[in-house]
Amino acid sequence: MWGAPAEPADSYYEVRPECTDVPVTKFKIKPGKTLSVRKWQTSFAPDGQLDIGKTLNRIHRGGIHPTIRGEVWEFLLGCFDPKSTYEEREQLRQQRREQYQKWKNDCREIFPVVGSGQFITAPVITEDGGDGPNSTEIVQELINRGPLDKKIIDWLLLLHQIGLDVKRTDRSLVFYEKQENLSKLWDILAVYAWIDTDVGYCQGMSDLCSPMIILLDDEADSFWCFERLMRRLRGNFRCTESSVGVETQLSHLAAVTQVIDPKLHQHLETLGGGDYLFAVRMLMVLFRREFSFCDSLYLWEV
Amino acid sequence: MAYKVDHEYDYLFKIVLIGDSGVGKSNILSRFTRNEFCLESKSTIGVEFATRTLQVEGKTVKAQIWDTAGQERYRAITSAYYRGAVGALLVYDITKRQTFDNVLRWLRELRDHADSNIVIMMAGNKSDLNHLRAVSTEDAQSLAESEGLSFMETSALEAFNIEKAFQTVLLDIYQIIRKKALAAQESASGTGVPQGTTINVNNMSDNANKKPCCST
Repeated sequence: MWGAPAEPADSYYEVRPECTDVPVTKFKIKPGKTLSVRKWQTSFAPDGQLDIGKTLNRIHRGGIHPTIRGEVWEFLLGCFDPKSTYEEREQLRQQRREQYQKWKNDCREIFPVVGSGQFITAPVITEDGGDGPNSTEIVQELINRGPLDKKIIDWLLLLHQIGLDVKRTDRSLVFYEKQENLSKLWDILAVYAWIDTDVGYCQGMSDLCSPMIILLDDEADSFWCFERLMRRLRGNFRCTESSVGVETQLSHLAAVTQVIDPKLHQHLETLGGGDYLFAVRMLMVLFRREFSFCDSLYLWEV
Repeated sequence: MAYKVDHEYDYLFKIVLIGDSGVGKSNILSRFTRNEFCLESKSTIGVEFATRTLQVEGKTVKAQIWDTAGQERYRAITSAYYRGAVGALLVYDITKRQTFDNVLRWLRELRDHADSNIVIMMAGNKSDLNHLRAVSTEDAQSLAESEGLSFMETSALEAFNIEKAFQTVLLDIYQIIRKKALAAQESASGTGVPQGTTINVNNMSDNANKKPCCST
């Protein structure tokens, strides 16, 4: 209702009571401004086509109501064309779920911890593809079958890093007290690393993936939202021997600041921050660490 | 020179925190700079910084500590990371053998990228988890000796040896710099330096190796 008081949104992303030093959420659900469930439902034509213009306007003014964030984000991220019909989307969703399942099965065949509800945090393989001190029987068996493909070695080398980060991602949220949610995050990142061999996994990606799992119930749907997000951001995570992708953005930031606020730029130079390394995290995880969970989602959608 | 902004200290020392992912670097940093330990700590992305000003031998020293992501691929930003660093805390986790085995790799990294005079302290962190220990103190000590490193076991959780580890590194740096400064002044003037002279490391132009941090 117009004029009704704004409703806090923190209860939708419950924080564990013992975690006291999490940032306070400023986002509030504002009646008449925030995209509500009702407004969202009436934005569709009978065949399912979405009036995206009107919706975007709303989102821009007041964000999205937490209960519909997941389905709205699928459009915002480009998983679905607003002009598509219900039927077309359903078909696409099924295809994508099957595709994800196929990839996940491929991963599982190599390393059965994928999809098992568990995950690993210690390296299972050495860099030259040998078995390390923590190698499981699974890996030993794999190695015994003959020398491993480089793609497989590179992928196996990432799995424990993903695990180490999964354990530390948004762990102030009640959501991640559940082992099944942690392993979901691990599975999605592992499958992504398998299909995007250029990027694989790089620290920070778990922060980007985590909201997708919280917002969408189906693991495959979460994966595809994450995959869409990574299309825009993967450049930052691409590393070579001598550079990290985000450096391109850092130099843009430096160039822009130099023009619009030369004094600030000069000041940063004087302090020794002229390389803008302090902004690496902001750019790589899109300010997720600067704001509360809820506020960063609001920032992303706006 | 850089530091015209803040004259509240006599020396500014840049120290880098390195070591495998998940060994507790960020909590060592927060324990030392804010006396905090966070059970919900997150992975470090890129580089994070914190400072603390403290007294070393009667001088005010500002320690500027650079904390990094443990994942190896972030090493690509290393040149900026090690530039001007005068100290390093090389951390492993006493409950994870692999993180200790990788100490040699980190040392190589330091020797390739950092100043050759950098003061290195190896820290075996998580000493509170003694029941899960996978690296003996003796093993670590002998590695430290053969590589010429200082060594301490630490616990960011229990605030054990964190202060001491940094103090030791800072004192070592201070002494090296003081010796160099004295030598420089002696050779310049041909006489001894009178007691009580204040030496500004930032102006030691003939001490090219020990650049103050961030002097880009």
